[in-house]
Amino acid sequence: MKNALTIFIFTILTTLFYWYVGQQVPQKVTYPPKKLELRDDLTTDEMIEIGAEIVNGKGTCQSCHGLPGGRFPSLDNVGAIAASRIEGMSEVEYLAESLYDPNKFIVDGYLPGMPQAHKAPISLNDKEILCVIAYLQNQGGSPTVSMQTSHSFTGTAPEDAGGGQVAAAPASNLDGPAIVETYLCLTCHKVDGPGDMVGPSLYDVGNRMDKAALYESLLDPDATLTEGYAGGVMKATLDGVGFYDKVSSKEMKTLVDYLASMKGGN
Amino acid sequence: MKKKLPFYLIATVVVVLMLIALNHLWTNWDAARELSNALAEKDAAGAPMDDGGTLEYREFPVIGSRVLVWMIAELHLMFAAFVLAVPMFAVIIEFIGYYTGDKRYDDLAYEFTKLLSTSFSFTATLGAMLTFALIILYPRLMGYLVNIFSWTFLPYVLLFFAEAGFLYSYYYGWGKFSPKVHLALGIGLNIVGTGIMFIANAWLTFMNSPAGVTETGALISTWDAINNFTWMPINIHRLIANVAFGGSIAAAYGAFKFLGAKTDEERAHYDWMGYIGNFIAIIAFLPLPFAGYWLGKEIYAYSQTLGIVMMGGTFSWLFIIQAVLIGNLFLGANYYLWVSMERIEGAERYRKAIKWLLASITICFIVWATPHSLVASIEEARKMGGAHHPILGVLGVMSAKNTAVNVLILTTYLSFLLYRRGNKEATHPRASLLKNIQFGIFSVVTIFVIVLGVAGYFVDATTRIGFSVPQVLSVLFAMISIAAIDVFLFRNAKSKGEIKWGQIKARAQYALFFLAITFTWLMGLMGYVRAGLRQHYHVYGIMEDTSAHAFTPTLGFAAGVVSVTVLIFFALIAIVFWLSSLSTKKKWEPKDASDDVYGLAEEARS
Amino acid sequence: MNIVPVAIIVLVMVAFSQLSKRNILRLNVVAWMVIWWLAIYFALSYGINPPLPASIIGMFMFIVSLALAAYLTTSTDDMEAAKSAFVNFIINPRYALPLILVMIGLPVVSAYNVYSDMTQPPQPPLSTRTIHPPPPPSITFKGKTIDLIEDENPYRALKTDNPAEFAKHVENGRRVYFQNCVYCHGDNMAGRGIFAHGFDPIPANFRDPTTIAMLQETYLFWRIAKGGPGLPAEATPWLSAMPAWEKFLSEEEIWDVIIFMYEFTNQEPRAKEELH
Repeated sequence: MKNALTIFIFTILTTLFYWYVGQQVPQKVTYPPKKLELRDDLTTDEMIEIGAEIVNGKGTCQSCHGLPGGRFPSLDNVGAIAASRIEGMSEVEYLAESLYDPNKFIVDGYLPGMPQAHKAPISLNDKEILCVIAYLQNQGGSPTVSMQTSHSFTGTAPEDAGGGQVAAAPASNLDGPAIVETYLCLTCHKVDGPGDMVGPSLYDVGNRMDKAALYESLLDPDATLTEGYAGGVMKATLDGVGFYDKVSSKEMKTLVDYLASMKGGN
Repeated sequence: MKKKLPFYLIATVVVVLMLIALNHLWTNWDAARELSNALAEKDAAGAPMDDGGTLEYREFPVIGSRVLVWMIAELHLMFAAFVLAVPMFAVIIEFIGYYTGDKRYDDLAYEFTKLLSTSFSFTATLGAMLTFALIILYPRLMGYLVNIFSWTFLPYVLLFFAEAGFLYSYYYGWGKFSPKVHLALGIGLNIVGTGIMFIANAWLTFMNSPAGVTETGALISTWDAINNFTWMPINIHRLIANVAFGGSIAAAYGAFKFLGAKTDEERAHYDWMGYIGNFIAIIAFLPLPFAGYWLGKEIYAYSQTLGIVMMGGTFSWLFIIQAVLIGNLFLGANYYLWVSMERIEGAERYRKAIKWLLASITICFIVWATPHSLVASIEEARKMGGAHHPILGVLGVMSAKNTAVNVLILTTYLSFLLYRRGNKEATHPRASLLKNIQFGIFSVVTIFVIVLGVAGYFVDATTRIGFSVPQVLSVLFAMISIAAIDVFLFRNAKSKGEIKWGQIKARAQYALFFLAITFTWLMGLMGYVRAGLRQHYHVYGIMEDTSAHAFTPTLGFAAGVVSVTVLIFFALIAIVFWLSSLSTKKKWEPKDASDDVYGLAEEARS
Repeated sequence: MNIVPVAIIVLVMVAFSQLSKRNILRLNVVAWMVIWWLAIYFALSYGINPPLPASIIGMFMFIVSLALAAYLTTSTDDMEAAKSAFVNFIINPRYALPLILVMIGLPVVSAYNVYSDMTQPPQPPLSTRTIHPPPPPSITFKGKTIDLIEDENPYRALKTDNPAEFAKHVENGRRVYFQNCVYCHGDNMAGRGIFAHGFDPIPANFRDPTTIAMLQETYLFWRIAKGGPGLPAEATPWLSAMPAWEKFLSEEEIWDVIIFMYEFTNQEPRAKEELH
């Protein structure tokens, strides 16, 4: 009996010893990679949550829609008024149109300029846009979409454009105006004449800034702000479109050269 | 006959239950195929199935589905390994007894076999539990696997029947047949057992390295799915590891009986049994690192990603734990031999060698346990210039590890050689020449192994991997040639004394327990890494785990699960030991009223 | 290797063994165990330059302790000697004073340990880093999918097929390397470029046989193309400062610089394993 007890204790001690060894090595939990693809059976709440994430994140929507008195209409109450924007157009259809083809209908008092949500660089896919619509409907209204909802734009977005891997065109061959367009500068800056929008016009920026200042204001927009403009907006927008991830030094040079050559009216 | 009835009953019930379970799956054949097709249509991202309400997972309360299946599978595996291993060496020992006519061997083989019948029932019960747990908790995965492996379940079940037949006729037929017939039964038992293991291995290796299916998981060929990349390496690896594990458990049984023995005769017998069990374990253990190396290489070949997850990524620290376990195994095996040399008259001559053998083992242990990238504070890391130590980093790679393990094997072999020579003095006319030849072979091989290890740093990876082959072959050559010379050298050797069986120290027996526990723990750990490699996949790259248990837990958590499993295993093994010792117990007789009713005197004596 | 401490330790050990050989100093087996333990500990702590991290010394000393314990208990005589020395120390009145010192000393040492643990200024946690994290099965390179398992360096075959053409790729790789990589990885590829001292982790040393020689070329392609930002979570806590070169180099340039790295360091890439 005594032997059995000793053996029993010996077994427990040896096992404890190996358990202890197991605790001494670095402890790390590895989680499966986060799913980029959206499941087909998301609940409405989940859709709203994902939509909010897109609107505040890679959709870069808040750069323009989030500012009070900003360039684009506020989204605060969009769920309540979307159905009445265009006569005969349902809420979902309207919201879909304003995402897929935003410049077709412009709210009174605003200027066109919003990029298409399903194209580069935002590149949302159909499912993500459905989530965005759910989020928008939730702003002052109640969502009616599900992941199965189809509208006249369904199928327009490339199947797997999402995931933040923006398929930027072979960037190195872009010229100045193309770069300005690719990175959505035109959303906030005018280039074809004086007049300020969210940001100051670039029409004559070459007169106001030298190349070094242009580099700085591109790479660190908040370092020196033009008087009267809000900080943080340009940085957030450029982050959102992936400017800092994608722009090459060659592109930077092209862009700065182009901007420096903008002396107004030439 | 009465005594045997429970075993038959349990085994039959279990097999019937398994048949019912399989039948349940087979009747849902069409559903399963649909499921598989639906999976095939899914895109590669592997989103969960939307197949109209079929459950993908059920949750087991408290410990969760994963830990439950994990522990049952591991326990099933441990018992299965034991049940497959014991017949292998039982038949060999029986054959030695038959060949030499030494009755002792025949008795020993029978004693090993006695452990089998209860273990077999436990294996089957745990297997049934595992099947149920998987079907209930992981219906989607099981549906898919059943579809892939459709017909393989039939031979599996049939072989299981044959296994039961062979096992019980081998056990109960001991001494009832002519030795040749009985040996044939034993061989049949081994063949059937190996077949069962091969089939089961096909299922699980498929999950690690799927083959025979399209990229989306649709079945192309069941045979290709069986014969996947890691199937054969796992088969071989498990076959050898089972013997090592089974030997160590048998040795632990010897130790258990030794410690409880009451007479010198019993002590002598169980001392010898422990020695033989340990001998089997160590002999099987020596080639195991190479089989493991081949398995690792095959995993690397199947997918570089999987290989790096294993050796460089999430699991790299697991192999440091493994190094501690294996270092302990070598240390423990040598320790047992050294302590048991005390009961050999004449072995005092070799005592001086122990410190050198120990030094060699310690150095190799350290080399093997040295990680490639070290845990360091920022300040320490700055001094080293990164997580690599410029000197120690050299020890962290394959060349050093391979060399260390080869030297460990040579050292252990040397310990064994000295043990064998303990009480013998060669009378061969050319004894000194032969000894010099042995010494020459040994030193040349050792130097060769080390030189190759060092050279490994100066050649490209493919050549370096190639170096492991001559290293292994030279070690094998040394072991075989030295053993062959030994046979001549000690023919008609003069005895300097006898081996006093039964006078071994108790701590040597505890070393046997230590080895058995370490083997079991190691098996649990390596089982974890094989399954854990798949990370968040059920079937690697094909069927994703979308349950709440998809994450890979910390190694500390895994160590906890393995520890608990090992303790449960030993609790069950204690039952096996106890049951098999019942057969030698005296018949129960009603006690005299005047006698000590509670058996206190018996207690006091023990 | 620090010569001075190692030499001192060796000298002390030799002195001890000579003294006990000549019976000037009588040391029992336990004392020898302690001396060996301390000698190994000091050799590991002060004999190696740069110093080993505390974690690894702890592990080594643990193994050494196991081995010494095994040695002590291998021989029954030694074990009995140790046991009786221990018992003697406790019951012999001669050792009353040292015994009291030990009795007081042990709790004091452990209390001090606790105290110093608790009063340490906050430190970043000990960290380990995966040097070669597993690559993804495939990556997207400028819209093209590169299969890291199946694909090969398209110019590797030229080495035997068309050495002249191969030399051109090596030359192009040289140009790419010395235009881009040399600043960190150094002009002899030892990871000691002019910027190297500023980084943690320091740049990889390609001359080390445990770096590129252990890896397939597609692995290098992944690391070069995706750089530090493309490292998976296992490679944390510090990500390498390596830029994602896919934004600056073409596919051919990356393959060329890989070829050049192997040619320059005279190493061969790990071959794609032949499947059975």
